[in-house]
Parts: sequence; structure tokens; C-alpha cells
Amino acid sequence: MGLRGYLARRVVYSIILILAVITVNFLIFSMLPGDPMAQFVAGMRGHIDEERYAQLRKHFGLDRPLHERYLSTLGNMLIFNFGNDIISGEPVFDAMRTPMLNTILLMGSAEIISITLGILIGVIAAYKRGGILDTTLVTSSLVTYSVPIFFVGWIVILVFAVQLHWFPSGLTSPPGWVRNPPVNVLEYIVGRLRYIVLPAFTLFLFTVGGWILFTRACILETINEDYVLTARAKGLKERTVLYKHVLKNASLPIITNVALAAAFLISGAIITETLFSYNGMGLLTWHAIYPTPNLPILQAVFYLTALLVIIANFIADLLYGVIDPRVRYG
Amino acid sequence: MPLLDVQNLTAYYTIKRGSVKAVENVSFSLEEGEAMGLAGESGCGKTTVALSLLGILPVNGKIVRGKILLKDTDITKLSEKELREKIRWNAVSLIFQGAMNAMNPMYSVEDQIVEAIKTHDSSITKKKAKERIAKLFEMVGLEPERARNYPHEYSGGMRQRAMIAMALACNPSILIADEPGTALDVIVQAQVLKLMTELRKRLNLAMIMISHDLSIISETCDKLAIMYAGKLVELGDVLTMFKKPVHPYTQGLIAAFPGIYTPKQEMKALPGSPPNLLNPPKGCRFNPRCPYVMDICKKKTPELKEVSKGHYVACYLAKK
Repeated sequence: MGLRGYLARRVVYSIILILAVITVNFLIFSMLPGDPMAQFVAGMRGHIDEERYAQLRKHFGLDRPLHERYLSTLGNMLIFNFGNDIISGEPVFDAMRTPMLNTILLMGSAEIISITLGILIGVIAAYKRGGILDTTLVTSSLVTYSVPIFFVGWIVILVFAVQLHWFPSGLTSPPGWVRNPPVNVLEYIVGRLRYIVLPAFTLFLFTVGGWILFTRACILETINEDYVLTARAKGLKERTVLYKHVLKNASLPIITNVALAAAFLISGAIITETLFSYNGMGLLTWHAIYPTPNLPILQAVFYLTALLVIIANFIADLLYGVIDPRVRYG
Repeated sequence: MPLLDVQNLTAYYTIKRGSVKAVENVSFSLEEGEAMGLAGESGCGKTTVALSLLGILPVNGKIVRGKILLKDTDITKLSEKELREKIRWNAVSLIFQGAMNAMNPMYSVEDQIVEAIKTHDSSITKKKAKERIAKLFEMVGLEPERARNYPHEYSGGMRQRAMIAMALACNPSILIADEPGTALDVIVQAQVLKLMTELRKRLNLAMIMISHDLSIISETCDKLAIMYAGKLVELGDVLTMFKKPVHPYTQGLIAAFPGIYTPKQEMKALPGSPPNLLNPPKGCRFNPRCPYVMDICKKKTPELKEVSKGHYVACYLAKK
């Protein structure tokens, strides 16, 4: 069948998946208990009567039968029309723009560092398996991986913000910027970076252990394969054996995990962002749940996150096809 | 002077609970073009001997004593770099069990053989290397065009042939085959063994055939060495060993194989199981299972002694 057939199959699967995601995302919000209008009319107590209420329901299309609403949701989702934020009234897309950029910046930097270092350290740990270095790395990875992230965050804030005063303990950018925006690019970059370091470091501490342990396990699974011994018997250098023969075989599950981690680029990290009052998608999601439910925002966040996972998996599948000949022809 | 002379090879693996005495005082020699079978139960140290010859014991494995003389170089004294450049694949190559996984599934067979050739001769052009592969493929009975395929596109027998082609890529003088027939059906196994015997004669290769299947060894080898629990217990030419096995363990092994020409008889299994090599029994390692065990067997380890020309036995019962 070759790479082209494989690609075509993957595209079809992805399209089916996207439709399924839209459907589930629609059903979840249709089945939620309570009236989606309740929050909207709560602020108008006393100023609204049955007739007006019915009008509003009609205005939002809530009186239409389920299948009609489904079809219109389907169409809207496909063109990224997510409706309006029910609290501020602005389009959901506009409400999400700044938080999304902030989150991509935060999660992107945290994850790139975490994944790169995690894989590198994991390879070393696997190679030195059983030794003191390996034991130390595995133990510390397990510790940072199992401590709850809010606790890691507290410690980070306590040490680097409260005690050492190196970095601010929260917010997205200096509060003074609201009145006096930065004048030059350098000032802007430095200002933003100072506010990203601590949440990014917290996320890094929390996730790097997982990458180390996972990479180590993947390498250990392949390092005892016969072809690794063959490669060594052929007289290849240890480095060539490790990076050419072992890592390539071990990379497939790692690629899948990287693809899954891509989802956080958009969904953000709810706990970390809330802890640091960082204006990202996680904080947006949290505020869309509590105190006032803001369903259009939630629906958009869910949908975009799922969409990103599907796209990332599609790319991972392509990489599989390029790397592993068995997938290409299977 | 023999091509390969292994003297008192002793290799241990270190694990948390102590050291596993996997190979202890194993000595044998191999002439050019000679084939020796190495037989014994699983875990008796056959593969450790093979890996020692290439200097590729796992990280926790170590040659603690003994010499491995290849012509006049002692392999155990060589540095990692020298082992890589002079010994591995250039002098000694290794073919694996079943070959299911002996080739990397991610690279084409051609790429893997080119890699072997280029590692030992970086000046060779890719075109020349490919020509060499075509010749090797013809030699092992594969179509040269198939070299561009990936291992998973081969059948088991083809994979084993490709593995043999790869093993011969750098003109080694010794070929070690570790259970080359396992995972192949008997017909394909017979073809592969026939091919190996033909190539051995044509290229004057010395060969070490590791197997627990004595029938394979009897068909392909000149000499037979029997290992038990890390020790060499008997060594001699195949015919003598089959007709007049001296060591009780060899007798047991041979009695466990039915002969198709001999009268019907019940197959005998050796009672008991091999000892734990972390803490092998004192004296002769076979003494707990030996039907003829004597007092001395439990105290002193029997040395390998020549009972007739070229026939060595490590047993107190053996007489000249």
C-alpha cells in the first residue's frame, strides 16, 4: 500500500474522529442538568417575565428540536464559530485570543524544555541502568512526579518569590503595564519572561519526571533486543548502537506521548495557571466553571483541545509511517 | 598452532545477590575450517562463551580469568576500540537464535549490511559495498534485489540466510552460530544448516555451532563440546562422543535422543535440574544429579583429562 495509502487512511480516520468529537461535545452540553438560560437571566430578576423568557429561548435557538440544534452546532464548530461569551457578550473567539497566546507561550516553553531534557536524561538513566546515577534519577523523578502540582507550586513561590524575591509570585505581566505599556520590545520580552519563569518551572518540575521514567522504560524495552546485540557484534560504536539502533526503535511510543502532551498547549494547566493567576486558557476554563458557568467558553475549550489532540496524533501517525517501515506497509 | 585457543575462560555476571559463575575454566581450541558444536542445557553458559569471544558481554558480565588467543592476540587483553575494529565482525561474527529479531526492523537489510561493511572499511564506496552484498546474497541463495527489503518482508528462512550473508560481509575467520535453527521449521532448518556447511567448506571458515539439539551438531560439526553448569565436561570428535560418551552427563544427553536406526528403547531423562550458578555445588557441579556419584566428586573439582587422542573428559570415572 505504501506511504500514500497509509496517509489517506489516516486522513479519513481523523475526519471521522473530529465529527465524533463534535457530537460528544454537543451531547455533553445538551445533557447538562439545569437550564442553560438560568445564569443568563439570573441577573435580570424582577425585570423579566415568562414571555420575555420564551423570546430569549427562541433567540438562542433553545426551543428548536435536538437534531436541528445538533446540525447547527456541527456547522458552527466546523467554521470555528463558537458564539458569544454569555457574561461579557464578546465573541468567544475574541475572549480566548489573549489567554490562548499566553498559554501557548507558557506551556510551549515548559513542555519543550521538559520533553527535551526528560528524553535526554531518560536515555542516560537507561544506559546506566542499575547504577547510582540511575537510582538517583528514578527516585527523584518519582518524587517530583507524584507530589501534587499545587504543592510544587507553593514551594516554588515560597522559595523563589517570597524568600529570594527573584521572580514575581503571580500574574501574567507587570501590573503597571495597564497604565504604562512597555515602550520597547526588549522591555516587553524581559517583563513577560519574568512572569513566565515560575509557572513554567513548576510545570517543568512536575512533568520532567514522567518523561524521564517513560523514556527510560522505552529504552530498556529495546536495549535487550537481539538486533542491539547484533549491532554491537558488528563492531559499531556504543554511541551508534544507542542512538541509531536503540533510540529509533524506542522512539515510537515516545512520539505518541509527545503528541498527547500537545493538547496542553491549548487547554493549559488549570491548577498552575490558577495558582499563579496567569491569564491563560486554564484560568479561563476555571472562570468559565466557577463562579459563573460560561458554557460557550467551555464548549470551545473542549473542542479545540480535542481537535489539537487529533491533529497532533495525525502528525505522530505520519512520523510513525516515516520512521517505521512496518507501519508503512502494514 | 590453532586458529582459536581458549584457555581457562572464566566469566562471571555480577548481580545484587552475588556473582553468577556462568563460565568456569572452559578450554578448547579450533583449527581453521573446523566446526565445533557446543551443547548443553539452557543457562549452562554456551552463549556467554560466544559473547566472550566477541568481547560483548553485558555490562554486568566480566571475563575474570583465562585467555582467548586468536592466532597470537589475546582478545581478553584488547581495548574496546581494538575489539571493535579488529575482532568484531572482522575476525569473529555471530548469527543469532532464530533471526526473528536479529536484524533491526527499522532499517533495510541492505542498509544493515552496508553498515557492517563500512564500519570496518570506511574507504569503500556505497556502490562497491552494494556489489559485495549482491555477491553475498547470491552465495546464500537469495535474490540480490531483495536486499533493499526490510527484515519483516522476509520469511524466517530468508532472514536467517540474510543474517548469514551479513555475518560473512567482512570475511571473518570464525563464525559463531547461536541456536541457528530455533524458530525455523525442520525443513527450512535443514536448508539453512546445509548452506552453512557448504559455505564453511567453501570459505574454509571455522565455526562454533551452539545448540541444545545434538542431532544438528552431529550433522554439521567435527567436534563436540558439552557444557554443564558453566563447565566444560567433555570434548572430543563427534563420532567418538556419540559412540562412547564417557561423562555421565553426556551419556544422559545422548540417551535422551532417540536414534532412528537403533532398536526401539525408552528415552531416558536426567532427573533433577541444573544448579543455581550463584552458588554452584562444591566439587563436580554435576554431582547432585550424577547416578555414579562418589565421595571425591563432592570435594574436588575434576580436571579435564585426555582419555584418548583428542577426547577430553572431566570426570573421576574416566580412564585412559
